[in-house]
This record gives sequence, C-alpha cells and structure tokens, in this order.
Amino acid sequence: MQTTQAATMAVSRRVAGPSLGRRLEANPFTWLVPVAVMLGIFYLYPIFDVFRLGLTNASLVGTGEQYTLATLRAMLENPALGGILWTTFVFTFGSVVGQQLFGLAIALIVMRGERRKLKGMVALRTIVLIAWVIPGIANGLIWQMLFSEAPFGAINSVLRLMHISPVAWLSDPHNAMLSAVISNVWRGTAFSMIVFYAALKAIDPTLYEAASVDGASGTQKLRFITLPQLRAAILVNSILVTIQTLNTFDAIISLTGGGPGRATEVLSLFTFNTVFRNYDLAGGSVLSVLMLVISLVLALGYASFLPRREVSE
Amino acid sequence: MMRLRLVTALLASAAALVAVSAQAQDLVTKDRVGPADAPKSLTLRLTGDGPTSTDPVWAEGYKKLFGEFIQRHPGWRIDLERMSDNIGQEQARMLEQAKSGQGPDCAAVDSFVLALFKGANVLQPLDEYFTKEEVADLFPFIRDGITGADGKIYAWWWNTDLRVLYRNKDIVPDAPQTWEDLKAAAIASKDKGMEGVLFNGGRWEGTTFDWLANFWAQGGKLVDDSGKPVFAEGENREKFLKAVNYFKDLVDSGAAPKRVATIVNYDEFNAAAAAGSTALFIGGNWQYGQLKNTLEPEEFEKWTFSEIPGPTKDQRSTGTGGWTFGAFSKDPEKVAMCAAIVKEIYAGPGNALQQQLPTAKALYGKYDVFKTPANETFAKALENGQARPGVPIYPEISNQIQVMMGEVLAGTKTPEAALDAANAAVQAAYARP
Repeated sequence: MQTTQAATMAVSRRVAGPSLGRRLEANPFTWLVPVAVMLGIFYLYPIFDVFRLGLTNASLVGTGEQYTLATLRAMLENPALGGILWTTFVFTFGSVVGQQLFGLAIALIVMRGERRKLKGMVALRTIVLIAWVIPGIANGLIWQMLFSEAPFGAINSVLRLMHISPVAWLSDPHNAMLSAVISNVWRGTAFSMIVFYAALKAIDPTLYEAASVDGASGTQKLRFITLPQLRAAILVNSILVTIQTLNTFDAIISLTGGGPGRATEVLSLFTFNTVFRNYDLAGGSVLSVLMLVISLVLALGYASFLPRREVSE
Repeated sequence: MMRLRLVTALLASAAALVAVSAQAQDLVTKDRVGPADAPKSLTLRLTGDGPTSTDPVWAEGYKKLFGEFIQRHPGWRIDLERMSDNIGQEQARMLEQAKSGQGPDCAAVDSFVLALFKGANVLQPLDEYFTKEEVADLFPFIRDGITGADGKIYAWWWNTDLRVLYRNKDIVPDAPQTWEDLKAAAIASKDKGMEGVLFNGGRWEGTTFDWLANFWAQGGKLVDDSGKPVFAEGENREKFLKAVNYFKDLVDSGAAPKRVATIVNYDEFNAAAAAGSTALFIGGNWQYGQLKNTLEPEEFEKWTFSEIPGPTKDQRSTGTGGWTFGAFSKDPEKVAMCAAIVKEIYAGPGNALQQQLPTAKALYGKYDVFKTPANETFAKALENGQARPGVPIYPEISNQIQVMMGEVLAGTKTPEAALDAANAAVQAAYARP
C-alpha cells in the first residue's frame, strides 16, 4: 500500500513538474517583467498619451478637453509645416553628412597618428570630445558669439583683420541655416569620430598588408578596404545622428531662436514653440507623433541597408 | 542723575526696538510667516519678490517687511509657496488649480496673463480695500488692466516696467521725437563710426513687445473687445503696415544694421553701448541701472533716455509689464488679508526696496529713490504705457509678428505678404475649437 502511495506521489510530482517558483525562475519572461514594467510606465505610457492628446483639443491653459480630429487637420494643413519640414531636412542632411565626413576624417588622422606613434593623439581625441560634452544651449551661445554680426563679433573681426568683408552669418536666411549646420556639426563630430575610430580599430590589419603587397595606393585602400569595412558603422551612425539631429532644438533656440523669420525653425523647435509658447498641448502632440514617424521611417530605411549576417555564421 | 536716567531710558528703548525687530524677523521662516499655531492661515504664492529672494538685500528687506506686517495682524499665519523661474508654466498651472478650487488663497499674477485669470472668473473683487482716490492715482493702463468687465477691480498691480529710447548725448545731443527724427539721428551717428539704432528684431517676445509701441502709438488694436484678432482689418491694417514699414525703412536705409534681425536679448544693447559701437537703442527701463554698473562713470554720464519716438511728436506709446496680486480665496477675511499684504508690503515699500517702478503717481513723490530725474522721466513715459492684451490668442499673434518681422527685415517677403501670412495663421489658430 505504502509502495503504491509513494509511486502515485512520484507520478503526480512528475506530472506537476517543478514548483511554481522554480518554473518562474526558469522562464526568461520573469526576468524581463521589471524592465518591461519600467519601460511601460516611463516610455510606452507617455507615447500612448501623446497619441491620445493629439486627438484632443488639449491646451495648457484651457479646460474641458474634448476628442476631435480638428487639431490633427489644423496641424497637417498648417501652411508653415511644408517649409518647416524642408528646413528640418536641410538641417538634418547637412548635419549628418558633415558629422560623418569630419568624424571619419578625424578618426583616420588619429589612427594614422597612432600607427606612426605620434605624440598627442590622446590629447587630440580628448579635445574633439570636449565639444560633444558641451550642452546644446551653451553650444548655441558660443556660436552666437562667434557668428555675431556686431562690430565686435569674433569671426567677422578676424575677417576684417584679413581685409575680407564681414559675413551676415545669422541675419541672412540662407547663411543662418549654414551657421546652424556648422554649429551642430562642430558639436556632433566627436560622436561620429568615436564610432568610426572603434570601427577602424576592428578592421583586420592583414587586409591592408595584403593590399600593400598588391601595390594598392592609399586612396585605393580607403575606397576598397576601409569604406566597405565601415559600411555597418556608417549606417548605424547615420541612424543615431539623424535621430539626434531631428531632436535638436536647444542649440538652435539659443543660436537663432528659429529666425530670421522661420529660416532655421526645425520641426523639434516648432513643436517646442507650439506647446510652451502657444500653450497648444494637442498641436504639439500631433507634431511629436510626426517626429516619431519620421524618425522610425528613416531608421527602418537605413536599417534595410545594414549587411545581413551569413546563415553559416 | 537725570542724564543717567535719560541714557538708561534711551538704551532700554534701543534694546527693546532691536528685540522687537529681531522678534519680527524670527517670525519669518523659509515657508512661513507668523506662529505655526496661529488660528487663521493664508497661503501666499510668490515669485522671487519675497523673503526667499535670491538677492540677499531683497530677502532681508522682505523678511523685515513681512515680520512687521504679521505683528500688525496677530492671529494670522502666512504659508509661503515659491514659484519656479519658469513663469509661463507656473502661471498656466496656477490658473488650472484656481479653476478647480485648488489654487492658493492669494498669489502673484503676471500682468501679462491677468486677463486670462479675469476671464476665468477665479479672482475675487478687491474694491472695498482700496479707496477711489488710490485707484484713480494708478496709471491709466494699470487701471484698465486690473478692472473687469463689470467695473470692479480684480487685482492690484504693484510694479511695472517700460521701454524707452537710450542715446549717447555726445553723438545724439537732442532726443529724437518722431520716427523721421530717429532715422536722421541714426544715419548721422553712422558718420561718427556708430552702427545706427539697435532694437530687438529676432525670434523672441521682445521683438513683438518693443515694436508694438509703434503700432499702439497710432491707436492700433491687436484684438477687439471680444478678444478676436483684428490687427489686419480696416484702419488697423494700415497702421500695422505703417509701423512695419517704419522698421523696414530703418534697416533698408542703413539707419539700423541688418543684424537687428538677430537680436534676441536686451543684453546685446548693453554690450554695444560698452563697446562704443552704438549711440541709440530701444531698451527697457531696468537697463539704466545695468549701464551704470557696466560703463565707466564718465562713459555712463554720456547716456540718457527719452520716450520712444512716435509717427508724430504727439503720438507716443510704450510697452509695459509688471506684477499684480490677486485673491483666489472666497473667504472674505482671507481676501482682506491678501489686499493688506499688497497694500502694506508691496505697493510702496516693496517698490522702494527693489527699486521697481510703482504703478501709482503718488508713490514717486513718497520715496526718495523715485525722486531721481531718471525715475521721474520713467514715470512721465508711463502715462503713455500700454500693456499687451491678455487674451489666449496673444502668444500666437506675438509668434507671427516675430516671424513676419524676420521675413520683412531679411527682405524675403513684402510687409503686405508677411502681414497676410501672419493674419491667416492667427485666424486659423483663433478658429480652432
């Protein structure tokens, strides 16, 4: 009888399996729950709320929030939106291209310097990084002083010393955009430099050795070895820099305030102005969703060019 | 013996006075004025203009004023709440709280948004606490600002500021009275190596506010009595375009440098004055003190100011701001206490302490700090003061004027086209539910 009982218990234990605690412990989702909850509360819920607010007439000063499509329509039909999207495109494109080119150039210089065991390469890397740690507002103020068109403006004073006529850096709408791109490239180049520096370090040196044996020139090595090897880094960097630039408004607000007129008013600054200057919470939410969609589409577009891992790997 | 008694009495009185004064200040803590167990209490929400000011002189001064005040009102405790420096957001939040009955009993309300508070019917009338003479002594724009549609006063506006034309007397000896005078003086100043007249022209509120004086001087109106934007209609349109063309002409003729379209800070004018690169700029009254601190005494002596020129000598205006106090509590005792705070602490003693312009003419004669020629000139200019309309659509109107000014000064749009675009955007925003 006892034997039968013991056997039954053993069977039932086998059927029931390990204890609940043990099973939860073994399940990877248990370990992901805290992260999922935190992300849900602090990231997903605000995003959901922005979507919801975009479908209302919510204002920072008003009451009686109502659901309506009028805000969505008003924002998308806003005659200024087309110009602002174009300004955003020019600013983002200029910044992404500029940051990648200068970042790659500095990374190549640092690599070459290290290969030749030149002194001061660490100092060079550090100096470049300083620009990156400067807050956006401070960056805008620094460049405002440099681009100042006052008789005591820094860059124009140097130009005058060289008998070159001063430039309307910020008061001319076209130059203002160029100035905004320059200031953003100056700040963001360090990030690209670090990404490319890490990727350059990972390139197998035997590739260059083999190319040298084959008599390849420096330009050929750059074109046929370095750039193809950096493809993934360039694409990842493009995604990151694009999203970062799309979200930039602090450097512009302190440099030009978006002016003259709307010459440098990018989408993120337009969104900020809509919410915090015009108290239009619903309108700002629609624009935030638009920014999210643009960022996602661009990120997916870049990602589709990323090299796929071989099945055999 | 008699003398000894006198000395003893004097010493005793002095000690008593010091003790009372110290006791008065002891009654003021970071977040409370008066004894913690006082039977009656009032919540008071303040900006930095109070015992928690970051300026040590102002903080001490207000501690003393509040301490003496609470001794005159025994049985009361004032719970202090401090606003952050993000005033726009603070005022918006306070309006929401007041609407739902969760606001403070008494609070500092920015004159810029006072009309929003009046429109929301959250403020209590203060008529019975101020005499008719006191109200009549206020500058006209101040009186209009605090008066509701029913003729009652709903706040007390205690300090203000204004814009004036600063000039270097060595280069521009006579104050320009009209737009033409200013243009001529600015062009003449260029012959002496100056860059012409400077004013705010970039993307920020100062551009709209400072330029509006030229529109208001002609009697132009941004909105009608119902709050509808009318600046691009009928006579207003003509006046608006005339004022825009005036600024455009200043830039096109070289009387003002093109860089005005980039100026987004009053400090730029101080810098230009210090560098000796300008002899004329339109700035705020507070800059007079800043110039005094920035320039060498002999350089500062050269600077003076006058009313902003108008289209004609008699058509003048200037933009004005400042702070008010309003009562949200429905308890009559608390409303009376709120009125007493503004009357006994702020309107007068507070102005003198912070050297901020009073809103009543009588106060300029009462305090020595306001008897200086500079402050008397400011007081005269305040007669033509005009506040921004406190309607919900104003921020969008201001935003569109800033955009328009940039486009016109940079030459990318004609004034007419820029005004039409600005009006279309404002009307679309106004029509939104």
